[in-house]
Amino acid sequence: MARTIAKRFRAGVPGYVLVAPAVLVTVVFLVIPMIQTGYWSLTVYNGVKPPQFVGLQNYIDLLTDPRFLRIIQNTVFFVVMGMAIGPVLGLASAVLLNQSVRLRALFRTTFFLPTMVSLVAVATVWKMLYQDQGMINQVLATFGLSGTDWLNDPTTALPAVVVTSIWQGFGFETVVFLAALQSIPREFYDAARVDGAGAWAQFRHVTLPGLRYTIVFVYVVGIIGSFQVFDQVFVMTQGRPGISTRTMVYELVEQFQNLRLGTASAIAYILLIILAVMSYIQIRLGEGD
Amino acid sequence: MRRSLPARVGIYAVLLAAAVAMVLPFWWALTTSFKLPGDIFSGSPIPDPFTLANYQDVFRRLPFPTYFLNSVIVSGLVVGLNVIFGTAAAYAFAKLRFPGRDLIFFLFLLTLMVPFQVNLIPLYRIMVELHKIVPAIGVDTYFGIVAPGAVQVFGIFLMRQFLRSIPDEVLESARIDGASEWRILRSIVFPLAGPGIATLAIFTFIAAWNDFLWPLVVTNSDAMRTLPVGLALLARRNTVVWGQTMAGTVVAVAPMVIVFLLLQRRFIEGLTAGAVKDVG
Repeated sequence: MARTIAKRFRAGVPGYVLVAPAVLVTVVFLVIPMIQTGYWSLTVYNGVKPPQFVGLQNYIDLLTDPRFLRIIQNTVFFVVMGMAIGPVLGLASAVLLNQSVRLRALFRTTFFLPTMVSLVAVATVWKMLYQDQGMINQVLATFGLSGTDWLNDPTTALPAVVVTSIWQGFGFETVVFLAALQSIPREFYDAARVDGAGAWAQFRHVTLPGLRYTIVFVYVVGIIGSFQVFDQVFVMTQGRPGISTRTMVYELVEQFQNLRLGTASAIAYILLIILAVMSYIQIRLGEGD
Repeated sequence: MRRSLPARVGIYAVLLAAAVAMVLPFWWALTTSFKLPGDIFSGSPIPDPFTLANYQDVFRRLPFPTYFLNSVIVSGLVVGLNVIFGTAAAYAFAKLRFPGRDLIFFLFLLTLMVPFQVNLIPLYRIMVELHKIVPAIGVDTYFGIVAPGAVQVFGIFLMRQFLRSIPDEVLESARIDGASEWRILRSIVFPLAGPGIATLAIFTFIAAWNDFLWPLVVTNSDAMRTLPVGLALLARRNTVVWGQTMAGTVVAVAPMVIVFLLLQRRFIEGLTAGAVKDVG
């Protein structure tokens, strides 16, 4: 018995050798840090003096602090607004592109371009466009509308950041949905038409079910990414005006810079828990029938 | 299916409007970078007079060639390491048998749930400590920027799916000929996995080229900063000199846009990998 097990392990040596670098990198740079953050989240720690265990106090402090609750609210607003609009626009444009349009490849490339560009660059450009005398207000003025100082107005700053993010992700969503649409067999539509289904019925009963996997994919990737929003805020608003655009990761980084490592770690774990729950729900939804 | 004329006009009008919305910010950034400071908010879509002064000024103030070189080195290393180690691990998970294989793979998949920010602070501390022991690695070095992303689990997952399509008979006959697993990996798996490796390389290249939070945290000298970090610090400092900021943006964005336009089909496939369920 012992000998056969030893034999199986010996035969497995090449496998272990090949996965060893990946395991090593993952353990050293992911598993161990993750455990460390978990421990620090239960301590008061400034990186110099040894961490002092305080149990769940950091979590209690954060979750009873109106300021942090506002930060969570901002982050959720960013996620919900972005996810309510972005993928819908992407699907709509994919459906249009999936008609027999000319220049489909050109449109696809144009839409996809912002996805290739770093969020930092996108945010830098949009910061300029949003200026009081910037392009957006100039375009509005030609239609006789007057804008506002978008990024300095507490009611518009966060929506403005959302719009920039939707603009950046639009092409990705379009391309993903277009690929998925093209993988739905034509015969399904022919069959639906024979049964007398109109355009909307076809969309409802053929297209949407055919896209189920891709819709779940887009929302899983999108929600996980959106909860981690940081780059745009760092460049465009630094969380201002007031704390109206401050998000969880922005707060985490600032607490880290202020050497409140226990608090920063607790924020990281709150984020981790939110994302784990969201992923679980979405994957269960995706399994379905 | 042919649609009525008004329907077709409507479709093109909507698509055209979307295309304008996607291109206009790029155009605005580009033209602003060629405008004189007084013309920035003139509203003119064409710079008049045309100037290169913004580029000269921003290059004088900040070492953009260094940022560019750093971005190239960092992205190159990340791509190289992921292709080698990611493919090796994926091959083992897809084609070799060893006790604990499926458990290890499952644990790998679980780590996909962990957002990077959870590891940020301990990673930084590790890099600070490493730097004290060996100055060439750790904080503010290429090693420090690259190491945490050297093997990305999503890449292993992607390659495993891909390598499963290589027939076992090919590998079996090489084994009968006495080839070692390392030899098989080098002379059979890598060549056959070409398209998969291209996808993996593009995916990791884009992520590494655009990565921001970690390079921001782990670098503290201009000599080590990458393009997004250099640009973000410029954009944050500069709220007035938009011509220079846009010149910096154009320099940061142009290489990626050019590479994308040259290789766009592969890029789109690379970035959307995993998004459509395989029918086969």
